[in-house]
Amino acid sequence: MSVVNYGTREITCKIVYYGPGRSGKTTNLQHIYSQLPEERKGKMVSLATETDRTLFFDFLPLDLGTISGFATRFQLYTVPGQVYYAATRKLVLQGVDGVVFVADSQSRQLAENIESLQDLHANLAEEGFDPRTIPLVMQYNKRDLPAGEISSIEDLDETLNFRDVPYFSGTAITGGGVFETLRSVASLVLSRLSAPAAKES
Amino acid sequence: MANESKKEDGSEEEGGEFADFMADISHEIAQRVESLGTKVKPPREEKKKTPAPTDAGLIAEWPNIADRMIEEVR
Repeated sequence: MSVVNYGTREITCKIVYYGPGRSGKTTNLQHIYSQLPEERKGKMVSLATETDRTLFFDFLPLDLGTISGFATRFQLYTVPGQVYYAATRKLVLQGVDGVVFVADSQSRQLAENIESLQDLHANLAEEGFDPRTIPLVMQYNKRDLPAGEISSIEDLDETLNFRDVPYFSGTAITGGGVFETLRSVASLVLSRLSAPAAKES
Repeated sequence: MANESKKEDGSEEEGGEFADFMADISHEIAQRVESLGTKVKPPREEKKKTPAPTDAGLIAEWPNIADRMIEEVR
């Protein structure tokens, strides 16, 4: 996917929210959607099962209008976290510009976080991306749960963030850390516009 | 880098967070566009026009010249 198109003067960024099932990826998008002013509210596409689990993916287009002469659009996606939707996750990652990894802070979910992170790296590599350099931000979600049930930020970061990328604590259910996370990954994606290898089409 | 969220209770006025996000992103994009040198270029100086020939340089009697050339060829 092209990030910047000088011909049509468009900037398009595809950001994928990745993570284990029930970590709060859809909740992140729902909060962003809830904060959009009416004139910018498009459609948030969400395909869920009867039990409210993401079946295919969520898609939230963000049309930011014309900025510095460029029509700017962000496309936010989530992947289904459940293990058996591997093919869908790979599909959603096609053409990705940046990734938010939403980790579940609950101590008992640590293994699922690690498995999902490994799955992310494998799928990125299969799609031709370098997992070591693609813009990535970590969000340690559910910080509102009782302290006895969740791992410390330090422990989570030590275990999951071996790339030492920006990380944020999140309480997506009330919007905590949601926009900070989005702003950070957007900044990382946009910073690549000035890199010599930045794609142009 | 530890970044604690500013808002924990969702009490911020609707659109406020998005407006802040927009402001930051607009600033970021403006900087990137500037660094890439893709700002709208100022209009180029008008090219110098070829000066109109003076009367002294004009060949005023084309028919006569053509007749002479035909004569030469014969």
